[in-house]
Amino acid sequence: MTTAVHLDEITKRFPGVVANDDVDLTVERGTVHALLGENGAGKTTLMNVLYGLYRPTEGRVVIEGEERQFSSPRDAIDAGVGMIHQHFMLVDPMTVTENIVLGNEPRKWFGLAVDREGARRDVRELSDRYGFDVDPEATIEDVSVGVQQRVEILKALYRGADILILDEPTAVLTPQEVDDLFRVFEELTDQGKTIIFITHKLGEALHAADDVTVLRDGKNVGSVTTADTSREELAELMVGREVFLQTEKAPSDPGDVVLSTDGLTAEDNRGIEAVSNVSFDVREGEVFGIAGVDGNGQAELIEAITGLRKPTTGTVTYLGEDITDAPRADRIDAGMAYVPEDRHERGLVMEFDLVQNGILGSQHRAPFAERGNIDWNTARNHAEDIIREYDVRPPNADADAVSLSGGNQQKFIVGREFERNPDLVVATHPTRGVDIGSTEFIHDRLLELRDEGKAVLLVSSKLDEVQGLSDRLAVMHDGEFMDVVDPQDVTEEEIGLLMAGEHPDDAASAAEADAIADGRGEGTSGSRAASDVPSDGGER
Amino acid sequence: MSTQNTLTGLLERDWSYRETLVGGAVGIFVTIAVLGLLLPESLWADLFGIITERSTLSSALRLSVPIVFAALGGIFAEKVGVINIGLEGLLIVSAFVAILVPAILGPTETTLFIPNLWVGFAAGILASVLFSGLFAVVCIRYKADQIIAGLAVWLIALGLAPFAATVYYGGVNTENLGTSLPTWTIPVLSEIPLFGAFFSATPAVYAMLLAVPASWFVLNRTSFGNHVRASGENPRALDTVGVNVSRVRYASVLLSGFLTGIGGAALSLGLGQFIGNNQTMVNGKGFIAIVAYLFGNYNPIGAFGASFLFAGLEAVQIRLQQVPGYAIPDSLIQTIPYVTVIVVLALVGRTRIPEAAGEHYESGDD
Repeated sequence: MTTAVHLDEITKRFPGVVANDDVDLTVERGTVHALLGENGAGKTTLMNVLYGLYRPTEGRVVIEGEERQFSSPRDAIDAGVGMIHQHFMLVDPMTVTENIVLGNEPRKWFGLAVDREGARRDVRELSDRYGFDVDPEATIEDVSVGVQQRVEILKALYRGADILILDEPTAVLTPQEVDDLFRVFEELTDQGKTIIFITHKLGEALHAADDVTVLRDGKNVGSVTTADTSREELAELMVGREVFLQTEKAPSDPGDVVLSTDGLTAEDNRGIEAVSNVSFDVREGEVFGIAGVDGNGQAELIEAITGLRKPTTGTVTYLGEDITDAPRADRIDAGMAYVPEDRHERGLVMEFDLVQNGILGSQHRAPFAERGNIDWNTARNHAEDIIREYDVRPPNADADAVSLSGGNQQKFIVGREFERNPDLVVATHPTRGVDIGSTEFIHDRLLELRDEGKAVLLVSSKLDEVQGLSDRLAVMHDGEFMDVVDPQDVTEEEIGLLMAGEHPDDAASAAEADAIADGRGEGTSGSRAASDVPSDGGER
Repeated sequence: MSTQNTLTGLLERDWSYRETLVGGAVGIFVTIAVLGLLLPESLWADLFGIITERSTLSSALRLSVPIVFAALGGIFAEKVGVINIGLEGLLIVSAFVAILVPAILGPTETTLFIPNLWVGFAAGILASVLFSGLFAVVCIRYKADQIIAGLAVWLIALGLAPFAATVYYGGVNTENLGTSLPTWTIPVLSEIPLFGAFFSATPAVYAMLLAVPASWFVLNRTSFGNHVRASGENPRALDTVGVNVSRVRYASVLLSGFLTGIGGAALSLGLGQFIGNNQTMVNGKGFIAIVAYLFGNYNPIGAFGASFLFAGLEAVQIRLQQVPGYAIPDSLIQTIPYVTVIVVLALVGRTRIPEAAGEHYESGDD
């Protein structure tokens, strides 16, 4: 076997962030290589380096034994590297053929006109060669997402790509389309193409790849052959088990139930069930943590609770009232604070300054507003308080949110939500992108809130964080709570198994029975039988 | 198949946008024809007479020239993603310059063996191209709001042309050149009753009849056309396959200015004079062109049909003024294009606006 891609000690720094830290990656020709990691682990950055979108700060890119320096994707394409982005780069009203040949149109009549016949023929040949079922005449907007993805792959192949990079290719697909895609992978590798795909679903990596490289916090934490690894090993590699900065924590003193869900079920944006029949309580004076690999329904669950997503069935009760259908504004007014997962999308208005951002959600209420007039002095004092308390830099309330670094944006959001005087704090990844000192501060503040008798619902993919802070810890897999455990007693191995969808007590045999019972056919770790297709649609 | 079946079949069919429009136009014409033949001495008979007159067709073709060229220009701009609401301004600029240049050079003389009338024509086009180039730089390089920039193009032209006329001529109208676009008559073909009008017309009309299919071809059959459409729909897709989006956008907006310039130059040179009163002699034709290409769903042929329809209505109206007994105010007629487009778009369908029209594109990757 020869090496198709060799990334040698790649480091990519952005102002204030190290996205890739000394990463090595070797991919053999004709194999499928999965790049596994949590959101923000640096997978996409690394692939953008390989595709010429970014230039590495340090390190070498070696393609087919030859060192390359790409200054643009064009160079990468010329070297035989093609990338299929998460968001397809297709022109909706144009046909499959027009999209595939775009920019490289075959000409006729002395270059005057596009040779449409020839283009169609080329596309059909290419599509037949790899067993793609694609109609060259169809308009992009009329075909399914799965077909659009194949068009993207054909686009890369048409440009002579031998190495295909796919960024989260399964994120937009239905389970059937995922199966089809993996068959396409086989077809392509049989014909000598090399595939690298990015994913955060370990089931997929195990099933579809020959080798897996796990990235965490921008570092390569392990490259393994799928035949020699297990789900648990991968899960552990993904979330890590660094020594947790031990937070001094008094025993909890739980009071009345603040939030409870009963049989909560919700769908993701594609209409696939993402949360299945989840019931739990969060009480005053306790931190209820939810652990799990990203994309196992945590986001949808939290959205259903905070009023951003309508559950299909089940109820959400808050302070004794059924709020399943209550609008989001009512929940905020009732004292539900929320640190959202996506700070750009939901946490801040990027074009607003911190004074304006600081009162979001309270802009219509005293002390910030009276009869529809905002008291900007109070708002400014509030923003300055948050900035001081939470060490937001630069300490300038007039700065637009967009000018702050990610970590400082996060600190500001956390400050705003914690200082709302809430009854319930819903915090998702509250310390994502935040430096260690501030992380500690946020953790302490979270526990202070708990000790004041607030209820805290914490979601984090950092195992040490949820385990260290929580008083009770639920482990979520594939939309369900695998178990609710005492974080003090449980071992990392047990949590790892739960996150991988297996119960620790009856690891081997029973897990298989479970998997068969819920119709998913996910077998025990490591086995990759052909029938053993993980339908990871539910795992998001 | 019996007539009955054919009729119900036609009614039950799911008619496309294009079929509905063409069908509607034919239906209205047939109605007028039938009523006109059945009821001689009525309004219908007069209308039918006017419509089937060769001079009406002639003037409809002449009147549609500026609208059609501006509409073609508008299509190229909007398809590439730059909404060019300044077509009206480009028409004004080209119409004025096309008169001013031969007036300075001497209307009946030649420059480098080229009659100055044609030098003026070229100068009008060039002025429009330059003006659209300015618009393109403002919109593409400096990312100005396209609507505001387009309005600026119109307002600047609306002020500048009559001002320059006042400076040079002492009044907002230019003097008549004493010469205008010639009529080229094709022997034999021009003898055909009614449709002979197509073969006895100014070069501008012939140019229009060529430009419409040519524009369609460029847009739908060339790689430039593919890039134009992709740029207006999903510029990032174009960028990732290695085509420079800005370059395509500049080219298409300049082409827009070129086409619109032909329309403007033809408008004033057809008369031999630029009239700068009120809204100038362009008088909203650029805006009607926008309506026309929306109506034609960004298809050059559809835009031609719509422009021809609007021009035809105006020709009929002008003719109708000369028939005693009908005093239809022309301002009423002038509202027809706008009313039709609202009715048609509301009832029959939607035109599909390019996805990225009006949006700036920044080739983002570091």
